[in-house]
Amino acid sequence: MTPKKKIQLGTSKPANQQTGSPPSICLYFQVHQPYRLKDLRISDVGSMNLQYFDTEKNSAIFRKVAEKCYLPTNALLLELLHAHPNFKIAFSISGVFLDQCKEYGEDVLESFRKLGEAGQVEFLAETYYHSLSCLTSLREFLEQVSLHVRTIEKLFRVTPKVLRNTELIYRNELAQIARLMGFSGILSEGADRILGDRSANQLFEPPDFKVSLKDQRTIRSFRPFNKAQRDIRILLKNYRLSDDVAFRFSDKSWIGFPLTAECFTDWLMGSGGFTTNLFMDYETFGEHQWADTGIFDFLRALPRIWQERGILARTPSETIDAWNQSKQPTPCYDAHEFLSWADQERDLSAWQGNRIQTAALAAIHALEKPVRKSEDPRMIDAWRKLQTSDHFYYMCTKYWSDGDVHKYFSPYDSPYEAYRRFSHALCDLKQMLDSRSHDAPSTIHHSALPTPDS
Amino acid sequence: MSLHALMFGWEYPPLHLGGLGVACQGLVQGLLRNGVKITLVLPHANKNAERDVAVLTTDNASVTTLSVPSILQPYDTHGSYDIRAGNISREDCNIYGGDIAGAIEKYTAASVNISRNLAPNVVHCHDWMTYGAGVRAAHYHRVPLVAHIHATELDRTNFHPNKWIYGFEKRGFDAADRIIAVSNYTKNVLTEHYGIAADKIAVVHNGTSEHLTPQANFGMHSRHGKKDHPMVLFLGRLVLQKGPKQFLDMAKIIHRKHPEVQFCVAGDGDMLPEMVTYAINQGLSQCVLFTGKVGSREVSELYNRASCFVMPSLSEPFGLVALEAAAHGTPVVLSKQSGVREVLDHSFQVDFWDTEKMADCVLTILREKPLALQLRSEASRAVTYLTWQHQAEVVRSIYENLIQA
Repeated sequence: MTPKKKIQLGTSKPANQQTGSPPSICLYFQVHQPYRLKDLRISDVGSMNLQYFDTEKNSAIFRKVAEKCYLPTNALLLELLHAHPNFKIAFSISGVFLDQCKEYGEDVLESFRKLGEAGQVEFLAETYYHSLSCLTSLREFLEQVSLHVRTIEKLFRVTPKVLRNTELIYRNELAQIARLMGFSGILSEGADRILGDRSANQLFEPPDFKVSLKDQRTIRSFRPFNKAQRDIRILLKNYRLSDDVAFRFSDKSWIGFPLTAECFTDWLMGSGGFTTNLFMDYETFGEHQWADTGIFDFLRALPRIWQERGILARTPSETIDAWNQSKQPTPCYDAHEFLSWADQERDLSAWQGNRIQTAALAAIHALEKPVRKSEDPRMIDAWRKLQTSDHFYYMCTKYWSDGDVHKYFSPYDSPYEAYRRFSHALCDLKQMLDSRSHDAPSTIHHSALPTPDS
Repeated sequence: MSLHALMFGWEYPPLHLGGLGVACQGLVQGLLRNGVKITLVLPHANKNAERDVAVLTTDNASVTTLSVPSILQPYDTHGSYDIRAGNISREDCNIYGGDIAGAIEKYTAASVNISRNLAPNVVHCHDWMTYGAGVRAAHYHRVPLVAHIHATELDRTNFHPNKWIYGFEKRGFDAADRIIAVSNYTKNVLTEHYGIAADKIAVVHNGTSEHLTPQANFGMHSRHGKKDHPMVLFLGRLVLQKGPKQFLDMAKIIHRKHPEVQFCVAGDGDMLPEMVTYAINQGLSQCVLFTGKVGSREVSELYNRASCFVMPSLSEPFGLVALEAAAHGTPVVLSKQSGVREVLDHSFQVDFWDTEKMADCVLTILREKPLALQLRSEASRAVTYLTWQHQAEVVRSIYENLIQA
C-alpha cells in the first residue's frame, strides 16, 4: 500500500548522460495484501489460539480487489505480452499475498503463473511477510527474504536476482547486505534530497561499506544464495512519472488530466537518461484507479506506442545487464538515513512516526527469541504476520486530522483502534509463550494492569 | 466594518448548569476580540444585575448586559419548572409566570422591550428558549437572525421529544436566516429530523476557553503519597442523555476483570438516586464513587487524577467535557453519537450502546502505557488549536455575509 503524494507536474530532470536514444522503461508492480486483524477483545487474551486475523474481511477484500484489479489486469498483461514479445514487466509479490491466494484465490495465483510462463516477467525478492524486519533484526530479515526466494522458486520456477525491500525502505547498509546475500540489484526511491541535481534515470551503486564481521557471519548463515555478488546496482524509482500514473491519473484538478498513453510516452522520452523506472502498486490498475477512469485502455496502448517509437521495455535484471555492458561510470547513491516511497517525507515516519508505532514494533521484536525457541511453526507464522508493515501504517497519526490517505487505506476506525487490536494479539501471543515456557515464570504478567507509578 | 450583535442567551457563568453557559461565554469573549460589539440579554431570577456584569471578561468595555427578570433555567422542562415555580411566592409567580409557556412569553416580550432603543446589525439567539425573543427582535430591528443550536430537544430526550418544545425549535430554525450548529452531528439531526436545508446550516465547533489550556500536572498520583488504583471518570449531569447507565454497565465489565479499578461518577441530576441503586445492585458499591455536584476546582482535580475519561452520551451535540478532559491530558473514550469526536481525533470512539467495546478501550488505555502517553500529549495539544478567538472569527464572517446579502 502506498500513500498518495501531492500533485506535481509530470516532468523529470534530464539525465547527466544523454545517450541520444530514449531511455528504456523498467516497469515494476508491487502486489501485496496484509492480514487485517479481528476486533479482538481483552477478555479473549489467553484463549485466542492464534486466531488474530479477520478471515471474513480479508477474504472479502481479496476477492473484491481480485475482481477489480488482479484478474482483469493479469488478463490484459498476458494478452499484451503475447502480442508484444519485447514488452517486459516485473512483479514483487509478497509472501502473505501468495498465502492469501491459497486461501481465497487459486485463480489469482494461476493467472500470475501464466504471466510467468510467458517468459517476459521478472519476479523480485522481498521479505515474505512484507515486514519492517530490516529495522529490528538482521537474522529475521534474512530468513524472511530466503523464505520468499524459495517460495517464488517453487511457485514460478525462477530465482529472484533483485531485491525490493518493503515499501522501498532503503539505506546504504541494506544495499551491502543485499550484495552479500547474493543479489545483483536492489530497488530504492529516487529521493531528491539524495539525488541533488542528478537524474534518477541511471543506475547507481552504494558507497563502500564494511558490514561488521558478526553481521557477515549472520548473513552467511541465513542468506538465500551461496555466494555474495561483487557489485550491486541500485534502480531508483522515477517518482514523478510513476506517480503521474499511480496517483494523478484520474485527478481532474491535475494539469496533466486527462493523461493519454501518447502524451505519457512523450514525457518518458523527454525524461532522458538510461532508464525510466516506473514503480507502483499493482492495485493502481482497477482499484486505486477504477476501470472507468480509462486506466486499462491507457495500459493497453503503452506497449504498442513504445514499439512504434523504438522504446525498449526491460526487466530490472535486464536493465542492470545493459547498464553494465554500456560501460558507463556508475554514480554513487549515498543514503545514510532510511528512506522509503511513502508520503511526502519519503522516510520511516509512516510506520515509526509516533509513540504507539515505535512501541508496537519494539514489542513484536521483543518476542523474537521466545517465538523462535518455541519452534512452533504456527506460532512463528502468526508472529510474522503481525510484523507486516501495514499494521504499523494503520497506527500512523501524521496528517490524521486531514482525512488523508492513511485514513483511506485503513480498515479500522482510527490509529488507536489499530493499536488496540494489535496490542491484544501481542498480549495473547505473549501469554501463550509464557504458559508454554518451562523456565521460571516470566516476570511480565500482561494480564495485570500497571500501577500508576509503574 | 463595525458590527453590533444583539445576543439572547439563557445561561452564563457563574450561573450555569452545563456546557451552554461556558460556550456562550467563550463565544462572547471571542467576538469581542474580533471587534464585535455585543449586547447580551440574559434571563435570571437574581434581581441583582451586578452579578452578571461581574462575570463578563475583564476586557468588557463594549459589553452591555441587560437582565430580564425570569426564573427560567436551561435544561428546563414543564415538570422541573413547575417544581421550582411551586417554591416561590404567588407575587413572584405573577412576575415570572407560573408555567413554562407563560415564562417564555414574558421573557420574550421583555427581551424585545428592553432592547428597543438599540441599533444592532444582527440578532443572535442561543437554543430554543430564546428563539421567540430572537425572532421578534430581528423583526423589530429589521436585521438578519442567527439561531445558534447547542442542543436539540431530540438530544435531551433520546429522540422522544416534547412536541411543544420541538415546535418551538422548528419555528426558530425556519425563521432564522442562518443556523449555527455546534457540530456536523447536530447539523445532521437538523436536516434529518427537522427538515432543515443543509445549506442553511453552518457548523462552528465550540472552542476551548482559556482555563482549558493544558495543565502541567500530568501526574496520576494520589495526593496521599501511596500508590493508587487507576480511576475512570464520568462527568456530566445524571440524565438519560449523558449515558450514566452505560457508564455503570461498562464499569461492571471492567470490574469483573480488574476489581482494583475505581470509578467516579461526578455530577448531579434526576437519575442520581436511580444510578446509586443500580450500582449497588450490580455489585459495584466498593468501586464506584458518586460525588454529586462538583465545582470547577474539584473538576480539575478529577481530570488530573483520572487515568481515563469516558463520555458515553446517547446523543451529544458537542460535549465540552471531553475537550476539558483532553486539555487536562486525560485519555478520552467518546460516544460516536457526539459532535466533539469531529475535533478530537486522538481518542477512542465507540457506539454508546457498545459497553463491551467501551470497556475494552478503557482497559487497553490502562494496560498500554505508550498509548496512554500518546493520547495524553496529542489530544491536549490538539485542543490548544481550537480557540474561541478563531471560532468567533468564523461567526463574525457569518454575520458579515448575512448583512451584505
